This record gives sequence, structure tokens and C-alpha cells, in this order.
Amino acid sequence: MADITSQTPQRSLSPYWTTAIAAALALAVVLTAPLYLDIYLTNVLIRALFLGVLALTVDLVWGYTGILTFGQSAFFGIGAYACALVFTHWGFGPGWFVAALVIGILAAGLIAWLVGLLSFYHGASPLYSSIMTLALPIVLVQIIFSGGRFTGSSSGLSGFPTYYWSINTWFIIAGVLLVTVASLAWLFVRSDFGRILIAIRENEDRCAYLGIPVSAIKTGLFVVCGAIGSIAGFGYAAFTNVVAPELAGFLLGTESLVWVALGGRATLIGPILGAIGIDVTSSYLSGSLPFLWKFIVGVAFVVVIILLPNGIASLVTGAWRRYKARGKDETAAHRHRSNVTLVPAKSRRLEENLSDDKAPILIEALTCRYGSLTVLDGIEVVGRRGELLSIVGPNGAGKTTLMRCISNGGERTSGEVVIAGEKIGRRSPQKIVELGVGRSFQNTSLFDSLTVGDCLRLARYRIDGASYLERTERVALPEPALEILKATGLDRQLGLETRYLSHGMKRGLELAMVLATEPRVLLLDEPTAGLTKPERTAIGDVLTRLVEDYGLCVFLIEHDLDFVREISNRIVVLHQGKMLLDGSVEEVVSSDLVKAVYSGQETETPA
Amino acid sequence: MKLTRLASSLLLLGAMTYGAAAQEDPIKIGIPVGLSGANSVVAPSVVQSSELAAEEINAEGGILGRQVELVVADDGSGAQGAQRAFDSLVFQDDVDVLISMETSAARNAGLPIVNRAGKPYIYTSFYEGRSCSPWMYVNAWVPEQQVTPIVDHFMNEEGAKSFYLIGSDYAFGRGMLEFTRQYIEESGGEVLGEEYLPMDGSDWTAIISDLKSKNPDALITSTAGGAPNVTLTKQLRNSGVDIPYGNLAVDEGTAKSMGSDATGIYISQSYLTGIESEENKTFLAAMEEKFGDELKTPNDLSVPQYEAIYLYKAAVEKAGSADPQAVVDALPEVSYTGPRGDIQMNKQHHTPLTMYLGQVKDDGTVEVIKTFENVDPGEQCPNL
Amino acid sequence: MATLFLDILTTSSMLFIVAAGLMIILGVMKLINFAHGAFLTVGGYSAHVVTDAGFNAWLTIPAAALVGFVLGIVVERVILRPLYDRPLDAILATWGLGIVIAQVITFIFGRGVQFAESPISGTADLFDISYSSWRLILVLVAVVLGAALTALLYFTRFGLNARAVIMNENLARGLGIDSVKVRALTFGLGAALACAAGALITPLLSIDPNMGLPWLVNSFMLVLVSGVAIPGLALASLLLGGAQVLVSTFVSPIIGGITIVVLAAVILRIKPQGLSRG
Repeated sequence: MADITSQTPQRSLSPYWTTAIAAALALAVVLTAPLYLDIYLTNVLIRALFLGVLALTVDLVWGYTGILTFGQSAFFGIGAYACALVFTHWGFGPGWFVAALVIGILAAGLIAWLVGLLSFYHGASPLYSSIMTLALPIVLVQIIFSGGRFTGSSSGLSGFPTYYWSINTWFIIAGVLLVTVASLAWLFVRSDFGRILIAIRENEDRCAYLGIPVSAIKTGLFVVCGAIGSIAGFGYAAFTNVVAPELAGFLLGTESLVWVALGGRATLIGPILGAIGIDVTSSYLSGSLPFLWKFIVGVAFVVVIILLPNGIASLVTGAWRRYKARGKDETAAHRHRSNVTLVPAKSRRLEENLSDDKAPILIEALTCRYGSLTVLDGIEVVGRRGELLSIVGPNGAGKTTLMRCISNGGERTSGEVVIAGEKIGRRSPQKIVELGVGRSFQNTSLFDSLTVGDCLRLARYRIDGASYLERTERVALPEPALEILKATGLDRQLGLETRYLSHGMKRGLELAMVLATEPRVLLLDEPTAGLTKPERTAIGDVLTRLVEDYGLCVFLIEHDLDFVREISNRIVVLHQGKMLLDGSVEEVVSSDLVKAVYSGQETETPA
Repeated sequence: MKLTRLASSLLLLGAMTYGAAAQEDPIKIGIPVGLSGANSVVAPSVVQSSELAAEEINAEGGILGRQVELVVADDGSGAQGAQRAFDSLVFQDDVDVLISMETSAARNAGLPIVNRAGKPYIYTSFYEGRSCSPWMYVNAWVPEQQVTPIVDHFMNEEGAKSFYLIGSDYAFGRGMLEFTRQYIEESGGEVLGEEYLPMDGSDWTAIISDLKSKNPDALITSTAGGAPNVTLTKQLRNSGVDIPYGNLAVDEGTAKSMGSDATGIYISQSYLTGIESEENKTFLAAMEEKFGDELKTPNDLSVPQYEAIYLYKAAVEKAGSADPQAVVDALPEVSYTGPRGDIQMNKQHHTPLTMYLGQVKDDGTVEVIKTFENVDPGEQCPNL
Repeated sequence: MATLFLDILTTSSMLFIVAAGLMIILGVMKLINFAHGAFLTVGGYSAHVVTDAGFNAWLTIPAAALVGFVLGIVVERVILRPLYDRPLDAILATWGLGIVIAQVITFIFGRGVQFAESPISGTADLFDISYSSWRLILVLVAVVLGAALTALLYFTRFGLNARAVIMNENLARGLGIDSVKVRALTFGLGAALACAAGALITPLLSIDPNMGLPWLVNSFMLVLVSGVAIPGLALASLLLGGAQVLVSTFVSPIIGGITIVVLAAVILRIKPQGLSRG
């Protein structure tokens, strides 16, 4: 695992090969280790290896995807109890062994799925998910407690029949399991799908508005990690021949967070080393220094959380980066060798747009209230194909809320939005993206640590899917997206992390990403805010082309009235949540009503 | 006859030379014990009595000329910690024997390791009974020995007909109370309620209210030692429960530190500091002298531990070596007269014991009310 | 029936008292203090030290509050200040702090159970039944505490500043409110409340290094369900505490132990903002 700290895709070897070589090396270590380890250390290491697998799943869920989970231990416990219960109460033998393992995996998967359904709904706060993962082990442990003789209650079960293979055999089993899981995880987090996990961690909301089914992905990941945790727990119980409620408990759950945090989130190797290191050391110190050791771990944990949020591994990776970056400027250090090639995608929806005669968007009696505050009241707008419709109004008029109500079915209080003949109902944002609504945001919050190429691939997830183990080199984009990339020069910056882009480039990238989802209706919230005059003109040209050549319907929120006047077909004026006017540019510009509303406001509302 | 004598003297010679050669190679006694967790209250007293036993044995020349070395490991009072502790003692320290007072969870977790390694194991804690292994001996009481004195006393002397049982939800708690219920019902009494809280539970409100509403004549509790026992007793006293109260898990030291809350509690033990025997007085004096102010009150867990080390010594001497199989074979055949009287683990790996029924007085001391000689442990391991 | 009613009332009061400190901190600082359990433990040990030194048992409560306040101020300065913009990390850091506190306590006092004298023991007669006096006093304490906290938030300068910080921290800072000071004081206050609560529950519990831990999760759930407001917390304590007593009484005490967690998870799924809002 020599090259493990490198973030660069390999030059000559494919990731498959590097992973395979690293895995082979690790396996060689596993196979030979028992020869030179004493029996005690081997014993301790076997348990630590199983716990290492648990730590890996915590890293996938928390480190990569950002779900702070206190409950991964529950799945470990489920696997362990599946083993103990089946062997104690039903039978033992190869058939029962497989049956128990399968039962453990299915039970863990099912529970993970249920918890996922409950906690990862759209709009759930990260805290709520954490609460659910906190509740899970607590409830599970109480269920074990109330199981009386069946589960052994507080004492757990022990002495059930199991395979009394030699210690070395068990070491190899545990080692092979860990290396296998780690290798797959290694490929997984570096795959296209792995980038999506990171994107969810960095900006979950934005993912949803790119049509990525965040809830389903999180739930799926939780299920898979639950199943893996269950396998680890099963092995642990089969080896140690004893299960106890603490295997499923909240304390083991938090302990696994400590391993991951100390080792280094989102590094895979860090958490494994954290788990093994801390567990083995505590075994050695349990006799002499149990309290001092716990104290040291506690202090180290607090210090690492405060000062080294990326764990001790970040010291190593940081040094590696600095070493690679010597003599280069800062952004160069963060420019990854990119193998991404952009190719034109055959965009069916854009073609449909041109032929479809249904109105792309129809807003009927839309009302939105927060408590007693009515933000939008009876909005009626029809957006036609090939039309650029600007929404203007003073601050607080409800413009952004209108965008929100169109792009998220859960937002409005009453009324309906119809996209190309289909009512949005209470659909979540990612479902509405499927209908053909693309939305850009007021603030340019992109995915900081992803590259431009990654971001574009991300935006194509809804249409092209993503590979679980590979990084694909080709990203197919619809023509207008390609044009924007070319116009802004982004097509030559595909390997750069987005946080190093200029503001204008970020705007361009965001627009390209939204277009990559192949929308019918484009909702743009102040796309020119903070841009220079030439950049503004460029965006204006792009918008005009989108409307005229590709037949998109564009809703534009804009403060710059000159810009609006130049490019709009129609203008809707909102004032205090009500529609003041809906008409052509001339009608609106000449309206006394609008002047009256706007006169005092214009100076106060800089872009 | 001649031949055997010759053989045995040869053996003796062998043992002596072995003993001489092993002068630097002490007999290691592994003591996995709950320094943290539920047993942490009582564990220090167990370590102290072990230290005294080792010191005394070493002062008199050790076992077969070999010095005794104690290796103490924290088992965290639970299964997880016990595995670590047993692993490290058996595989890392390579102890000759394990002698320990532990929770049932810890014992259950440790037993597979003991069986795998083939080491003698003397379990010195009272427990719920029926734990069997060819390698394990028990020199403390089981429900059959402990519960009967209390129940008999409550029924005969206090006129109790109805009982309420409260326990911690684990093997010991449930095992004790199951036997208690059975014995009460066999004796013609009635059990009005049997309630459990998990070992880490501390809110007994609903159970105490239920107890009060059912108005039983007497109460018997069997919690984990330490915190659960203290919280339950405090909350009982706070709620004004003053029916006869038998506590199967309290020891003298805890009763003393609980202060007025413990007053009146009945306890049934195989050891109380007030036992009037020479052995006990010598033992207490030796403990006092060795530990002074640091002394933890000797109790029904620390004394069996002390005696077990002597039993092991006797078995090794009888077997002529510390060979595990030989020692295990010798263990039921040797006896030792300690603070609790004559101890011989000759009943299906368990031990007939003299039991004392005591009551906590205002000043925290325990008054012996009755003595029950040589109470039999009953059928514990018929297959051994 | 009367017993059941009193059980519910007193259990809810205990929950309210124990959770109040956590809520103040979450309300003002938007920060979940997972060291709350450890603070309760510190309160218990403060009580032990005070009565061990021969002082009146009633003094345990102000003494614990004082210890908590000082501890809170220190912890806020050293651990929390760098974490204000990383709320999930703050949970972890305070959890780590809890581990550290438990170990420090073990170093000083050992692992065993300690004892403190109770200000009051025995029972009082109420509604024709005799009931634990201390539990009844806790009801009184909860009421007074609720009123005092409300008064603090609505009728004092500190309360005004704290509410300003809650509503809009940048604006509050613009208005010249020293939000750093408000946060420090809040954390001190929250820790003081937690420690005082620890001292208040010791007459019913044992004092050991982990005594606060079982209360942490329940308090946390209650505070979230409350919607982080004092009347909400009172309501949540009554509802969930009541449910816990009912389940413990009529179903099983073991299931009773998870009632609060399960109900809270369900309530928060339906009303993510808790009982006090939207």
C-alpha cells in the first residue's frame, strides 16, 4: 500500500492494478504475520481486524458521506447475535453457519433500510439522522436486554458451538475479510459513485437539485455498510465465542467514531489503523493502565477534533501534498491530472423541447405561507417554450421563494405547478429535476473539493448513472453545456478543484451543470451577480441562445433592470408576494405602478 | 508397594529438582477482576486478600519451593473486557491458574478461553449456579445455599407470606430470583411481583410504586453489586419501604458506606467479619496489619478469593506439580480451613458452606442472627 | 392512581431539571453538549465532597452549580470556541471531554460508588399515600427553575442579549452585544445547571464515574422535542416522562427505558422543529 496517500489517478497503472497490488501485499502480510506474532498479539489482532472492518463502514458513512452515525455498532451487534442465537438455539454446522451469516446480513440490511427510510428523507437535518443512529443501538440493546434467556440479557451468550480453528486460521480469515473490504472500499470511494458520496457530504441540497437521489443513495449506502458491519460482527462472535449487549451498544458506536476521527476521516486507511492501534493498545494496557489509557485516548480525541479535523492521517497526506507541491504555485498543487474527455451527448429532452407543444411550465394559484406570514399569494404564470421570463421585484417580494416552490414540491402551501403537462404534487427536488426543471442558486456554493470534471460527471448522474468501482474518462454533455464550458475556458480546467475557480467561472460551471441535467425549464437566481460587464454580456448571449436555439423556458431573477430589459421576452413583477404585473418588457417598463413600487427601492437593492 | 514408594520418591526428587530449577520461575496466578464497571466497588478488596495470601505463602517458602506471583487484569466487569483479560493472562502472561471473583458475564466470556487453553480456574464469586467446566471449581455459594436462610427466616420469624422480588436483568439477578421464587412457592409463600431493570438502569420508580401498591410482607432483591444496588436501596428508603428487606447482593462494606439507608437490611453470606473463629481473627489481624488505613472491609467475595489461593496451593502440593491436569484432579480432594471454616470443593466442583444470616445495624455493622452449618450446594454439575 | 400521578409528575420534574442545562446551551449556542452527562457526574461528586467535608447537605446544590459554572467557562474557552462553525464536530469534542472528565474523576475518587448525604430523606403524606419527600421537592425545584430561567431570559440584560444572539448573531454583534461573552456565560450557566442537577438527583442515585451517562441521551431527546424553549421542555418532559412511567408501570420497566428515545424519534420525524415551533 505504498501509494496509498496519493490522490492522483495513476499515470501508467489503472486503479484496478494498483489496488490489486496493494491488496496482494496486504494479503501477504496477513498470511505471514502469524509466523512472527506471539499468540497473544495474534489473538488481540483478530478482534481488532474485525473491528477494523467496522471502522471502515463508519468511515464510508461518516467520513465520506458526512452522516454522523452513532449506531454502526448496532449492525455489528446484529451480526454477532445472529451467530450466537442460531448456534445456541437452532444448530451448528456448515449449513447453519451460512444460514446464520445470511440471517445476520439480511436483518442488518433490513434494519438499515428502515432506519434509512426514517432518517434520510429529503429535508431531514443532518442532526436528525444522527439522532436516529443514536436511537438505534439504544433500542437494540434494550431489545437484547428484554430477551431474557433467549438473548442472555445483560450477560449475553457464550460457549455456543463454533469452529475452534487454530488462532492462525482465524487471523487469516479476519485479515482476508479486512483486506477484501478495504480494497473494494478503496476502489469504491475513488469511483464515479464515490465522488457522489463526497458531493453529498459537501452540499447535499445542491445534489438534490441536480437530480441525484440523495435519500436513496444514503439509504443504499447505509444498507450496504450495515450488511458489512454485520459480517464483521458475525466473524467477531464466531471467533470469540461470546456475545454481549455491549457489542451492539452506543458506546461501541461512539468508540468507532473515535477510531475514525483519530485515524483520519475519509482516508479508509486512517480509520483501520485507528481501530487496530487503539484496540490493540488498550488490550495491552487493560491490566496496568486502563484509566490512564482511556484518558489519553479521550484527550487525543478532543485535540484531534479541534486541531486536526482530518485526523492524524492528514499529517501524512498533508506532508505528501506539500512535498509534491514544492516549487509549484498553490492552485497547481490542487490541479489533478485529469483524464476526463468531454463528448457531446445526444440530448433527447432538448430535441423534445423543440417539438413538444405543451407549455413547459404552468403555475396555478400558487400560495406559500410560513405560519401567519404569507410569502406568495395566488401566483399564476405560464412559461412558454423559447421564452425568457424575468421575475423582478424588491427584496422580500418572494422571488426566491417562487423558485423554491417550483423546484421542490414540499415547499408550497397550496396551488399547483405543472411541468410539461405533469403536476409536481409533493415531489422532492430530485424528482422534479427528472420532470425537467433545472435550478441555479443565488450563492455559488459548489462542491469545493471536487474537480470541474467531477462536478460535470455528477450532474450527469441522473441520466448516465455512475460506476461503482471505476472512474470513467468520458463525460457526455449536451451541446449547450459544452458551449458554455468552451466559452469560459473551463474545458481546459477539468482537473482543477472548484474552490480555486474565479467567481465568473463558478457561475459558468454551475450553469453548465444545470444544463447537463437536460432541463426544459431553467430557473436562474441572479446568475450575473458579482460578474464583470463582459462576463455578464457573455451570460446574456448564452441565455439568448438557450432560449432561441434550444427552446428552453428560462425563469430569471435579476436586479439589474438594464440586463433584464435587454434579454427578456416577458417580465413578471412581484410585490409583497403578489403578482403586480405580467407583461412584455415595454408594458412593464412603462407601467406607473411598477415605477411607484420600484422608485424607492431600486437604490436599496444592489445586485 | 516398594516399587510405588520408589517411584513416588523419584517423583518427589524430580519435583524438588524441578522446584529448585524453578526458583526464578514463580507460579503465576492470574486474577481477572472487575477493577472498572459494576464490580469496581468490591474488586479492590479481592485484590487485597489475594495479595495477603500470596505474601503469606511466599513468606513460608512458596508452593513447592516456587514463589507465587499475582497477575491482576481488569475485566471491566463485562464479557468484552473479560475476554481481553483472560486472553492476556492465558496467552501473554501464561499464568498457571486463574483465580477470580467476577461477574457472571465475565465468567461466561472467560470460560471458553480457559477451556481452550486448559488451565485450572477457581471461581470465587457467589453466582447463580450451574456453570460447569472440567477446568473450573467454585468455592463460593449458589442460590441453593444463600436464598433458603433468608426466605426461611422471613417466613418463620417475620411471618411473611407474600414476597416481592426485584433484580438486575442479568444471569445472576435472574438466576437468584428464579430460585427464590421457586423456593418461596414450595414453602407455601406467594410471590406478588418479580421485576427487573437492566444492569445500567437507575430509575426504579415504576417498580417501587408497583411494590408499594401490592403491599407484600417482605422484599428480596438481587441486583448487580455497586451502583444498581445503591440506587435501588436509596430509592426504596426514599419511598418509605420498610418491610423486611433481604438483599442478596450487598456486602458489609457497601452496607457500611450506605449509612442509614442500609439499616435493617438482611443479608445472607458465607462470610461475615464477625465470625468468631481463630482463623478469621488471624486473617483480619493480618489484613489490618498489611493494609492499615487502606484496608477494604474483607467480605464474602474477598475471603473466598483468599481461601482459593490456599486451595490451589494444597492441590499443587498434592499433585506434586503445577501441571494443569494434575492440579485439576487434585483440587476436589484437598481442603483448607480458612476464615469461613473448612472448605473443600468436593460437590460437583462446588462447595458445601456454612451460611450466616445477618442484619445491618444502625452503625453499619452486621449482626449475625443465625448460622446454618454445612449447607449443601445441591445438584450443580451432575455431568462432571 | 395517586401514586402513578406522582410518579409521572416527579419523573417529569427530574427530566426537566436534568435537561435544562443542555437546553440553554443548545438554545443560545446552537451546540449540542455531549459532555452534559459528565457535568451531571461532576455535580454528584461535588455533592459528595461537600457533605464529606461536613457541610450542610443543602449546600451541595449551590456548590455544585459554582463548580459547574467555573468548569463551563474553562471548557468553553479551551474546547468550544474553535468549533462554533462545526456543530457536528462539537458533539464529538464534547463527547471526548466527557470521557476525559470520567477518567479524571476516576483518578481522584476511584471507580467505586460514593455517597453524599441527602438534604431530606423519608416520605411525606400526600393524597392519602406516603411518597418520597425528595421527589416531591424536585417538583418544586423544577417549577422554580422553569420560572427562574424564563425570568432570566425575559427580564434581564443577559437574557435580552442572549435572545438577540439566538435570533441573529451578526445583527446582535452589530448592535454592540459581545456575543463571545454571551456564549461563554451561557455555557457557564448551562454547565452550572447540569452540575446542580447532578447534585439534585444524587439523593436518589449512586455517585459513580458514569452516573450521568444514562441521562445524556434522554435529556438530548427531550431538548430536541421541546423545540428548545422552556415551556416546550416542560411539555416534553411531562409527555415523554409520563409515557416512560406508564410504559414502565404497565408494560415492562425494560421497555420503559427506551420510551423517551423511541417517542422522540417519532415526534421529530413528524415535527422536525419540536413541539414549540411550526
